[in-house]
Amino acid sequence: MNLAIRDLRQHWGRFSLSCFGVGLLLTLVLSYGGIYNGFVADALALIGSSGTDLWVVQKDTRGPFAEQSRLPDDARDRIAVVPGVSVTSPYIFYTVQRPWHGRMLRFVVVGYDLGTGMGGPARVVAGRGIVQAHYEMVADQKLGLRVGDTVPLGLHEYIVVGLTRGMVGSGGDPAVFFSYQDAEEIQFVKDNWAIRNGRQRALAAYTHALPTQPVLAPGLSRRFADNPELHSVNAVLVRLAPGAEPAKVAASINRWEYYTAYTTEEQSQLMLTGPVTLAKRQTGLFRVLLTIITTVIIAQIIYTMTLEKLKPIALLKLIGAPNGLIIGLVLQQSLALGLIGYMIALVLGNLTYDKWPRRVIVGPPDQLALLALVLGICVFASLVGVRRALRVEAGAALTG
Amino acid sequence: MNVVHIERLTKVYGSGHTAVAALRDATLTVDRGELTAIVGPSGSGKTTLLTAIAGVIDPTSGRISIGANCVYDEGWKVRDLRRFRREHLGFIFQSHNLVPFLTARENVLIALQINGTRGSRAVGIASQLLDYLGVGERANHLPEELSGGEQQRVAIARALANSPPVILADEPTAALDTERGQSVMALFRRIAREKGSAVICVTHDRRMIEGFDRIYHVQDGRVSSGDSKTER
Repeated sequence: MNLAIRDLRQHWGRFSLSCFGVGLLLTLVLSYGGIYNGFVADALALIGSSGTDLWVVQKDTRGPFAEQSRLPDDARDRIAVVPGVSVTSPYIFYTVQRPWHGRMLRFVVVGYDLGTGMGGPARVVAGRGIVQAHYEMVADQKLGLRVGDTVPLGLHEYIVVGLTRGMVGSGGDPAVFFSYQDAEEIQFVKDNWAIRNGRQRALAAYTHALPTQPVLAPGLSRRFADNPELHSVNAVLVRLAPGAEPAKVAASINRWEYYTAYTTEEQSQLMLTGPVTLAKRQTGLFRVLLTIITTVIIAQIIYTMTLEKLKPIALLKLIGAPNGLIIGLVLQQSLALGLIGYMIALVLGNLTYDKWPRRVIVGPPDQLALLALVLGICVFASLVGVRRALRVEAGAALTG
Repeated sequence: MNVVHIERLTKVYGSGHTAVAALRDATLTVDRGELTAIVGPSGSGKTTLLTAIAGVIDPTSGRISIGANCVYDEGWKVRDLRRFRREHLGFIFQSHNLVPFLTARENVLIALQINGTRGSRAVGIASQLLDYLGVGERANHLPEELSGGEQQRVAIARALANSPPVILADEPTAALDTERGQSVMALFRRIAREKGSAVICVTHDRRMIEGFDRIYHVQDGRVSSGDSKTER
């Protein structure tokens, strides 16, 4: 005969409510771990799907994700001749926020070379990939666009030709892929007023300088579109030749070119030790606080339940019940509370994680870790109740 | 044959000028199968005497023997006292004291389970006892669903579960009307005769002591000699 279950049978309504409350708390404990996993996955999503061995960025920066980096797009040609390099490809990455049909679209623009495909969408889940160099885009599902939607960006409209899943920037904003030429244009090409204004300022400056600096004259005739400032990328992706060692090729680029090269592993570490570290500390702190709160609440519930049973406990002691029976009664109820709460947390989490604003990734290791944590919490929380139960004198049953 | 022998038992609560002697040199004996009453006014020390016999409070001095065991043996630990209680004593209280979250049958079963009797044998004993006490049909009801008299019968069934040589009853009829109280007393007499247990019943209700084999009077902590009322 299980006394714990018999007692809970009497108070199932209140106990169920307690379990639900503990379940909600455990959902939060579990989800904060999942949110951190989501941060890591988001931070590494574009890096992992890029299919590249090296990331070449502006000298001494930690670009293109953790820090701004700019380098001319023809840098790819210089890097292409470094021994050990097989393919180079320009890469653009920046965040934009534009109004669209009454709502704000916030996303990261990823520009890649359609020829090499490096840095492009790894897997298209609907529609197709980009096949023409201009005016096509592949967006992540999270942005809420559908295949066939058109989005005006700068001077042109771009049509959504395909959708990806789980491709986001480190901040959790959905990624939208463009050809790198389009990505450059969206970022740098100004509207007509700004162009006219710029031309007038340049003309004034050159006219003023002409008498003393005739060498600048050709600048006047250069077309605005030829301005090298327009042809910047944020990184050059490198695929190595078979047998080439990433670290050695990166060292070679760092030494001989005015760039900084990171292996994909180093690029990942830049992300994990940068923005994600703060998130890890934040979510970790929340998890610790929530775990303490959960422990206190379970202890409080168990203690209250024990107080309500002091008379029956005294009676059981009087008729000779060993301490093991009393401890078992309290401990089993604590475990029941924790384990039912744990099951509620698993179910609630699985039903709702898709609807959370940021990606929540909870896998079996997280679930098992929480189970171990819950068992520990329950045992610890029951100590207060057990201590109280053991202090009850058998004589309390006689004294009424 | 003496099953309970108490010799010069004294219990003093507190110390110094606040000391109160609840029992003073109490001496009494109870035989096997005997129905014994301990009567006295409220605060006379009769419940202290009962709890001392039950091994719940340490006497200040004196000796209590139940069967071959000396209660409060210096070598005994808490678990020894509990083992002694479950093997040798049955308890019945004024307020019935059933475990509220167990059914009538389970209240009897728990006493058996604690003493190591489990499974179908335990269920058989519990059912038999409940039938014997006339509450077999109420076996699956919780205490709150039983009348006062029925609860007291279930408590008696639990007290009898392990066939203890001694049953201690503290004001068992106080919460019952006269008719039900007399019915319970009749039951005690039957148990003493048929089961052979010594029943020690504390009461201040003189109407209920008809038919007791022996009566001890307690006044200001002193126990008078037991009057043997009935030859057996």
